Amino acid sequence: MSYAYLFKYIIIGDTGVGKSCLLLQFTDKRFQPVHDLTIGVEFGARMITIDGKQIKLQIWDTAGQEAFRSITRSYYRGAAGALLVYDITRRDTFNHLTTWLEDARQHSNSNMVIMLIGNKSDLESRREVKKEEGEAFAREHGLVFMETSAKTAANVEEAFINTAREIYEKIQEGVFDINNEANGIKLGPQHLPSNANTPSGGASASQGGSCC
Amino acid sequence: MFRSRSGSWFGGSGSKPKNPHSLEHLKYLYNVMIKNQTVSESNRSLLVESLRSITEILIWGDQNDSSVFDFFLEKNMLSFFLRIMKQKCGSFVCVQLLQTLNILFENIRNETSLYYLLSNNHVNCIIVHKFDFSDEEVMAYYISFLKTLSLKLNVHTIHFFFNENTNDFPLYTEAIKFFNHSESMVRIAVRTLTLNVYKVGDEAMLNFIRDRTAAPYFSNLVWFIGNHIVELDNCVRADADHQSRGRLSDLVAEHLDHIHYVNDILCLSIDNLNEVLVEQLFQRLLLPLYINSLNKGQIQTKSGDRPMVSRVVSLFLLSQIFLIIHHKPLVVTILKLLINFEGNQIMPSGSNHESSVAIEDNITDEEKEQRMSSSTAVSSNSTSNLTSHLETILDCLDPAENDYEALFGLSLLYAMGQNRGVNEDQPFWNTTEWKSILIAKLVLLLTSACQMTSKIRPVTVDLAINLLIAVAIPNPPNHHGLDDKNLAVLEQAKEESIMVARTFFKSEDMFLELFEAEVNEIIKRPLQVEYLLQDSSILLPPTGTPMTGIEFTKRLPCGEVERARRAIRVFVLMRRLSLAISEEVETQLPLVCVQQCIKISDILDLNNSDLIACTVVNREGTRLRRFLVIDPIQLILVEPDSRRLGWGVAKFVGFLQDVEVTGDKDDSRCLHVTVHNSPTSTTFLSDRSPAHRLPQLAARFVFDDHIRCMAAKQRLSKGRIKARQRKMHLIGKILDVNTSTPSSPPPGTLHALRQDSIARTRHALLGRGVPGNLGISAAGTAFPSPFGIRPIVRCSCVLQTSSNNSNPSTFTLVRAPLGVVSHHVIISRSSISSMRIRPNSKILGQV
Ligand SMILES: Nc1nc2c(ncn2[C@@H]2O[C@H](COP(=O)(O)OP(=O)(O)OP(=O)(O)O)[C@@H](O)[C@H]2O)c(=O)[nH]1
Ligand SMILES: [Mg+2]
Repeated sequence: MSYAYLFKYIIIGDTGVGKSCLLLQFTDKRFQPVHDLTIGVEFGARMITIDGKQIKLQIWDTAGQEAFRSITRSYYRGAAGALLVYDITRRDTFNHLTTWLEDARQHSNSNMVIMLIGNKSDLESRREVKKEEGEAFAREHGLVFMETSAKTAANVEEAFINTAREIYEKIQEGVFDINNEANGIKLGPQHLPSNANTPSGGASASQGGSCC
Repeated sequence: MFRSRSGSWFGGSGSKPKNPHSLEHLKYLYNVMIKNQTVSESNRSLLVESLRSITEILIWGDQNDSSVFDFFLEKNMLSFFLRIMKQKCGSFVCVQLLQTLNILFENIRNETSLYYLLSNNHVNCIIVHKFDFSDEEVMAYYISFLKTLSLKLNVHTIHFFFNENTNDFPLYTEAIKFFNHSESMVRIAVRTLTLNVYKVGDEAMLNFIRDRTAAPYFSNLVWFIGNHIVELDNCVRADADHQSRGRLSDLVAEHLDHIHYVNDILCLSIDNLNEVLVEQLFQRLLLPLYINSLNKGQIQTKSGDRPMVSRVVSLFLLSQIFLIIHHKPLVVTILKLLINFEGNQIMPSGSNHESSVAIEDNITDEEKEQRMSSSTAVSSNSTSNLTSHLETILDCLDPAENDYEALFGLSLLYAMGQNRGVNEDQPFWNTTEWKSILIAKLVLLLTSACQMTSKIRPVTVDLAINLLIAVAIPNPPNHHGLDDKNLAVLEQAKEESIMVARTFFKSEDMFLELFEAEVNEIIKRPLQVEYLLQDSSILLPPTGTPMTGIEFTKRLPCGEVERARRAIRVFVLMRRLSLAISEEVETQLPLVCVQQCIKISDILDLNNSDLIACTVVNREGTRLRRFLVIDPIQLILVEPDSRRLGWGVAKFVGFLQDVEVTGDKDDSRCLHVTVHNSPTSTTFLSDRSPAHRLPQLAARFVFDDHIRCMAAKQRLSKGRIKARQRKMHLIGKILDVNTSTPSSPPPGTLHALRQDSIARTRHALLGRGVPGNLGISAAGTAFPSPFGIRPIVRCSCVLQTSSNNSNPSTFTLVRAPLGVVSHHVIISRSSISSMRIRPNSKILGQV
């Protein structure tokens, strides 16, 4: 289970756009949306391969915490990638993108990769936001864009993996300070200097455990 | 995380029901579980998959068939989860179990279903289970599970988690063990959980939290904030060369996170809890570290005391506190200590924080208790002859070799002034006798900032002006608090700033661009103190070199161009101040107001205008047939309006001042036209935008013949020169420079008309006559004494389509003082008129 890098993602957007479903669809393929039973989850992890390297993605859904400023703030700061999701069948979710983006830009580190996702592409007949509009918004704000469906799984893999690829490229270019874990990137065990004799989580858990 | 997609669900065993979502299937799975009570290598996957399927059926049952839950409860099926967990079966199975539980609790919608799941104590047993937390994956899934549970808490469900009789609340107590975990996401999850718990508001539960956990939890929290601050201070000290900015900015952000977290708790208004939190914060952090550091030289520190931090750091941190926390009991206490010095300084205790800087893992609870009680003891030695904190803060504003401390003194005063907790009825400084001292110091600081060689950074000037306005010019239109002497000094300072700007006006070739860029920046990005204090770079001593990546306004100018920019900025800011004092409206800046300009898609009456037909060939080779129109300030490419003869639709607009035109040596009918992206243009992009450096337009214009081509070239070149001259003339007027009057624009053009209308309104508003010359120069006339007192007139002048569309050549000028009154002025017909088609916009914009 060793990896070269661990990337932390957050997933943001209005309620009901399908964040939790996208997350589960990506991290656990066995929950197939049969019988109209769509299931979501707020955390997931999965290994992917880029450039022959094992990369682990950890995705943290931030839903339900909007009331607390301290929480949103810290979430943004701790992430290397963000999926900003709207629902193509609800224009209001598209209109709110600017606010989400402002928030993200204000709190995140400047290198965070943001992927814009127009979800529910399976509901073509109820579409309210044209694909071109999503593309234009992404272009204007320097985001990567993709339409997905958490129901049919269309483009879900691509959305998460392309984001990872972009983060990976930034690492190669030396833009990210990978030694600073506050950026949402962690080096895998094989990258750590050889004198690290304790497993990475060990020390921390005992540290936390000693209080209270 | 289920990595493998299992092809056949149960390894081909037995007859499973066809419908995966049914009671039958659940019964079938129950049998599978019964038969496989011991986890082994061979049945691991089968068990994991069965648990997953059970979860899926439960979620389905929650929405479709309640008998599913009855069966689940009757057979006590949640205990299977627990039984598997208790067998040491490795992280793979643990992770799968936790994920399954996450999904289950996340997707259950019915309260009753939820009660079923919680009704025996299994969930609490899972919570206290000792997982292998050294495995980062197990840790992440575990904490997410706890967080998911916390989102399900309410006054009913709380009783499944908190046992009043046994005083047991594992969900909370287990979670806060990880409050200082090394993974930020884990820490955030813990904080989310605590907030979700407090929010429930169950009294017995809150009593438990306060009596059993609050003191240790909050004291630990406060302790770690303190450690962060000491580290932050070390980082500032060690970094005179700006080498570890990344670390510093993390520490500043981290501090903000802490303070926001404290504030989120305080905002829940749980008095019981807040009392403990405020006590801990104040006694163990704010007083000993933040406040006492202001005058640390005067407090005898024993060798064991927690080290203090430098004055700038302490001012910076206190500013953040006042900006973020508005909880009255806390902020009032701090404020009192800062401003009401009564020679009775509260001293930090002589507690033993020998190794307070190092984060210790191995101190026992008793040791902690001891430390805590010793540090809460406060001695109140009367220690006279000390400088009060207030004096220290005010002294920061005095002219010094640089403005390092001044910036933080200002930010603290500003933050205190806007804090809702301390300024309930009126700003707190109104009740203090030092208000006049503060005003005098600000005036002095500004005077010094207006000097040519001043070492005060633009951001400090901006903040000082903001503070002066807040202190001296109260919101209701009372008389301002500046006496004649202060007014005279400020007037003098402004004159000085004009003089400095004037020297660059004459010497700097790019003065126009610089001037417009600064004016635009000031308008578009007004100083926001919250943002300023998030920027860790201000914590380092002021520097002059742009190579640090520090924004221009937050450092000293480097080179002639930046010195010109600084001069312009200081002047524009001083001008704003003087207008604010005299309660006047800015009418001359920006030089071009957006509402005056023609925009893309505007429909123009082009009868009687000079039009030159041409074909515009852009870089991609697209050819477009257009008419070139040259307005006094703009270049416009129009397409004939299909509905009205002689009218055209603007397809492109650019400012003449930004036009660069060259001929083509191979084709005498052809011009190369570039319109640069200038600060004036409405589409001006910020530096951050990738398109920033691209010109607005770069194309070849092909004309019908050589003559037309020559004419166009001449008009564009002349237009550029004239447009620039005209603006320089306006700036010259603002800076009281004598420039030769440029030739007035041709009468009857749109431009003149607009200037005319604005001049008229302005003079009408001020109850004056309209001066003879209604051209551009009228608009450029400065008010005689900016520091005189005038009535408040906030107005927006906009050109708007007349409500009567059948007469499109009529303009309506709408003036909306504070959006209440609107005043219509009909201006007579002119040769070019612009008609703006905008849906439902009564007022198009503010000047
Ligand atoms: N047709 C269709 N429905 C979807 C898709 N993704 C999600 N949904 C449905 O949209 C609804 C909301 O999905 P969630 O994943 O819970 O949305 P969310 O963004 O997590 O919402 P919050 O947690 O409230 O912020 C559910 O009823 C899903 O079934 C999709 O791609 N296509
Ligand atoms: Mg969700």
